[in-house]
Amino acid sequence: MKAITVIGARLLQTAFVLLAVITILFFMFRLMPGSPLAAYIDPNFTPEQQAELMARFGLDQPLWRQYLIYLGNLLQGDLGESFFYRQPVAERVLALLPNTLILTFSSLIIAYVFGVLAGAYLAWKRGSVVEQICVPLVLTTRAMPEFWLGMLLLAVFSFGMGWFPAGGTRPPGAEYDSLWALYSSADFWWHMTLPVMTLAIYSQGLPLLLMRSNMMDVMREDFVTMARIKGLSTFSVVIRHAARNALLPVMTSFAIAVGYQIQGNVVVETVFSWPGLGRELVRAVSTADYPLAQGAFLMIAVVVILMNLVADLLYAALDPRVTHE
Amino acid sequence: MTQPLLTLKDLSIAYRVGDQDTIAVEGASFDVQPGSIVGLVGESGCGKTTLARSLTRVLAGNARIAGGEAIFDGRDIMALSERAMNGLRWREIAFIPQSAMNSLDPVYTVGTQLAEVLIRRGGLGRSAARTRAEELFEWVGIETNRLGDYPHQFSGGMRQRVAIALALALDPKLIIADEPVTALDVIVQRQILDQLRELKERLGISVILVTHDISVVAYVCDRVVVMYAGRVVETGPMAATLTAPAHPYTMGLRNAFPDLASAAGELTPIEGAPPDLASPPPGCRFAPRCPFAEARCRTDVPGLDIYDGDHLAACHRIAEAETLRARAVASETWEAPA
Amino acid sequence: MSDAVTSKIRAPGRIARLRRTLGSIRLPLHDPLAVIGLCIYLFFILMAVFAPLIAPHDPNEILFTSEFALAADLTPGTDGYILGTTTLGRDIFSQIVWGARSALLIGLTAAFVVALIGSIVGIVAGYFGGWADTVLMRLADVAFGIPFLPFVIVLAAFLEPSIWNVVIAMALVLWRDTGRVIRSQTLTLRNRAYVEAARVAGSSDLKIILRHIAPNVLPLSFLYGSIAIGWAILTEASISFLGFGDPDSISWGYMLQDAFASQALSKGSYYWFVPPGFLIILIVSAGFFISRGYEQILFPKLDR
Repeated sequence: MKAITVIGARLLQTAFVLLAVITILFFMFRLMPGSPLAAYIDPNFTPEQQAELMARFGLDQPLWRQYLIYLGNLLQGDLGESFFYRQPVAERVLALLPNTLILTFSSLIIAYVFGVLAGAYLAWKRGSVVEQICVPLVLTTRAMPEFWLGMLLLAVFSFGMGWFPAGGTRPPGAEYDSLWALYSSADFWWHMTLPVMTLAIYSQGLPLLLMRSNMMDVMREDFVTMARIKGLSTFSVVIRHAARNALLPVMTSFAIAVGYQIQGNVVVETVFSWPGLGRELVRAVSTADYPLAQGAFLMIAVVVILMNLVADLLYAALDPRVTHE
Repeated sequence: MTQPLLTLKDLSIAYRVGDQDTIAVEGASFDVQPGSIVGLVGESGCGKTTLARSLTRVLAGNARIAGGEAIFDGRDIMALSERAMNGLRWREIAFIPQSAMNSLDPVYTVGTQLAEVLIRRGGLGRSAARTRAEELFEWVGIETNRLGDYPHQFSGGMRQRVAIALALALDPKLIIADEPVTALDVIVQRQILDQLRELKERLGISVILVTHDISVVAYVCDRVVVMYAGRVVETGPMAATLTAPAHPYTMGLRNAFPDLASAAGELTPIEGAPPDLASPPPGCRFAPRCPFAEARCRTDVPGLDIYDGDHLAACHRIAEAETLRARAVASETWEAPA
Repeated sequence: MSDAVTSKIRAPGRIARLRRTLGSIRLPLHDPLAVIGLCIYLFFILMAVFAPLIAPHDPNEILFTSEFALAADLTPGTDGYILGTTTLGRDIFSQIVWGARSALLIGLTAAFVVALIGSIVGIVAGYFGGWADTVLMRLADVAFGIPFLPFVIVLAAFLEPSIWNVVIAMALVLWRDTGRVIRSQTLTLRNRAYVEAARVAGSSDLKIILRHIAPNVLPLSFLYGSIAIGWAILTEASISFLGFGDPDSISWGYMLQDAFASQALSKGSYYWFVPPGFLIILIVSAGFFISRGYEQILFPKLDR
């Protein structure tokens, strides 16, 4: 009963944040300098034609009306029409979303598996030389510009050694019958390797440091000492009790990390010419394709907001102290 | 006289702080008879918890056994290999912690934690473990349907019962209880102590009860070991030791606590604080706070001497104990230490 | 109750504590890693201040060889160019040196703004509570829902290209983390006995905040500030790399974009794109090292 109220309140908060972000987004794009149709309007258009266009996009209406229309359209899944592609933004954005999500999730899963294991190991080795070298090193990977790491990997492994392709998702001219055929092709994974490596190297620091410090805290807990007094095996003490408890906040951070990663993807997708939401956002902003930019931004924001929600719910679901109240 | 279950001989435990050793327990010797409750009593920081924990050989990272032996059932615990020691843990020597809240893993149900011990340490099958867990819960007076609950869903007293059930799981010979009732209110304290007494009477399990509360000792213990600043200063049968203490520290301790048994007497605290174990005073460590201290007390370390039968005390003025006792009752005695 | 008693006992030690707090703000010198971080900062500050003296050329100057050909893509050491030249014939080393200026300028201002806004929001929300708290914390929720880098991109595209866009974006969005942490710190401080006592004695809210709350919250602000320096520099680099930076000011991010766009990767011109990235890592990790020093002051029990 109480849990339901808490979840309900959290859902309500999510809805509020979503609406607020949509509103900010709308006004940000409408209040910017210059005509929103500047890129769309051919200089040869007559004023009548321009006015007609304005009317077609609803830009002749007062701002608040435009806002309501925008909200109404959103509810119907209508994000407007891209100036550049002359195609619905929703279609375009949804087509690119899987590419971005694949990149985000595969890199984060690698980062988390590695980070959790290495973090637990470094906690176990606290005070050792290995630890004293590794921790500043990991901090350094957090200080890297992601795109620079991508550039370095490209220069070495693609241009230098020729092991990996320089960008995109498929070899030039390759066509696939379906998305599934593309995603399951060896070429796709081939193209994905460097960007995933880039993101994974950058991301492993967060779970690693978090796991390490949680583990060090948990190892001092009475129940870990008790597990030793019970004569349980080292495996039971470290994995079943210490790691299981230390893992809770790390699992929660995964959802948060998805939200952060998807923002950071913008630069890495650009470096590797990866056809994802981030690169599309950059292109749309550069070419003043505002409906598309707005749509891509919105999509990224939705992922961020949803992941913040998932993090909270995950925490509640994983920690019996919250679930069984 | 029966063979003792546990005999401590000159046991010392040291902590390493910086590059200096601090002796937390020095030359502790006493016996634990089968089926008896021994109270290990003293102020916090006197080494009683360290001593009790050393019997499981699970010590803090910077602590080590500095010497002496602990003969348990014919084997010296301190000399056993880690593997042999692990075989002893929980099967023969179990532990009841001070705070069951922190000692139970918050992410598993209490049933799972009981099963863990029964299956992994007791070699029971899943269903046998289930039956045994229910039996244990009935024994400590908790409804068996609460086996599926998480630690935080229990009250403090209930959690302590869970801890007792856990300690009983593998039928140990010795249970070490580290301040098991400190965090509880008086009524619950009494229930838990009754349960400890039942352990002894019905199951023949010996208990080492670590406490700072002399009234707890009076309520449940057969024998008492008084520790001060890392040393055993007095040991003997509970009644004799508490009614006729031979060491001034025990006399003072008795004054400082409301008597659970008689509920009478004036409270008089002992002035001053225990010494810093990193640089303890020479001679008797209690001398700086002792109203009866003489010159030799400050230079010579008193050994444990027989006061009366198996009632021993480490005091230079052991022969005058009766006179000192009479003076110790008056609270003025303690106001201005000599 | 017992908490109130202990705080009262400690009250005379407040001046000492205040001094200690202020001391801790100055420099976390006890931690070797933090000292390394401070040295790195000192290095970059000197580099930024004396950039005109250190850099042999104007970073934007187009250079020519003695044969009057464009000095393009020269490898390090050629004709005395320490790190070689860019495709457009500019001296890479000089650009590196001047880049320290924009990095420090953006990093330090952004950190100051973020820490300031975050602290004010946190203190106001935590101290006054009620509707102020509700409004500010809902705003923080919204800020947490805004994807930061996309937000900076859009903002940079709308505003005139300028290095300050990053600072503005950070001020608008990134106060959220600092704000939340400072708020909870303020909440615990507000209930301390000496704050209660000051209130009963009739001290004004402003006086209580300045005297009792702010000094205790300051190390936390510094902790988040030193992390924000890194964030700002990384963000500026990303924005410049994506082409939304200020074309008139040389920054390491701009250099990387220049290198990327000029095919430095396929040409294998490591001397062009490795040094700027390396310096970014150096200055950002210096901030992390210092923040860990503050962390140890704040949470001494955790032996991280």
